[in-house]
Amino acid sequence: MKEYSFDELHIDQTASFEVKITEEMLDKFCEISGDINPLHRDEEFAKSKGFPGRVAYGMLVASLYSCLAGVHLPGKNCILHSVQSDFIRPVFIGDTLVVRGGITEKNESVRQIVIKATICNQANRKVSKARIEAGVI
Amino acid sequence: MEKEQILAEVQEIFRDVFDDENLVISEDTSAADIDDWDSLSHIRLVVAIEKKFDIKFAFGELQELKNVGEMLELIQEKLED
Repeated sequence: MKEYSFDELHIDQTASFEVKITEEMLDKFCEISGDINPLHRDEEFAKSKGFPGRVAYGMLVASLYSCLAGVHLPGKNCILHSVQSDFIRPVFIGDTLVVRGGITEKNESVRQIVIKATICNQANRKVSKARIEAGVI
Repeated sequence: MEKEQILAEVQEIFRDVFDDENLVISEDTSAADIDDWDSLSHIRLVVAIEKKFDIKFAFGELQELKNVGEMLELIQEKLED
């Protein structure tokens, strides 16, 4: 885990990490969130709607932004203020995602950074993008 | 810049941050008068004010202010620097 202090952070500083989406992740997210929608749980239903298999929860994918801020940038000293995210393309079990973020603003007076982040799949297609506001405590 | 003009600009920022087009603030308005004026919206106010007026506050400088009037005075001081 990174432990950047506010002073150690700078505009254009970046971080990235890779995650493989598994069936277990979808099942755990279902358990945590209570979202039992069949698009995420029933392969046949997902196929009947034109998808190749169960679609990963958009919010499961977006939860990787929590890891980006809380573990990588700024890391240990993070307190997440907001995440505004778009779900651009569907994500499926077996996809390998790369989560990337870069600091676009550093607001000294409130010790807050703004991170522009993206998540791309193994075909390097963007599946999500986000604007993250994180305090550095 | 005159204080009334600053107040008008700051009012627009408040309306945007609190998502209330009818919000009217005065120099006496404080956090106690606006239910949603919490620590996160305070951060948004500070950042929006800095961008609007192209000024910078020191860390925590706006935390100590009692009301909008004191905020306007601080903005005016920064603009005159």
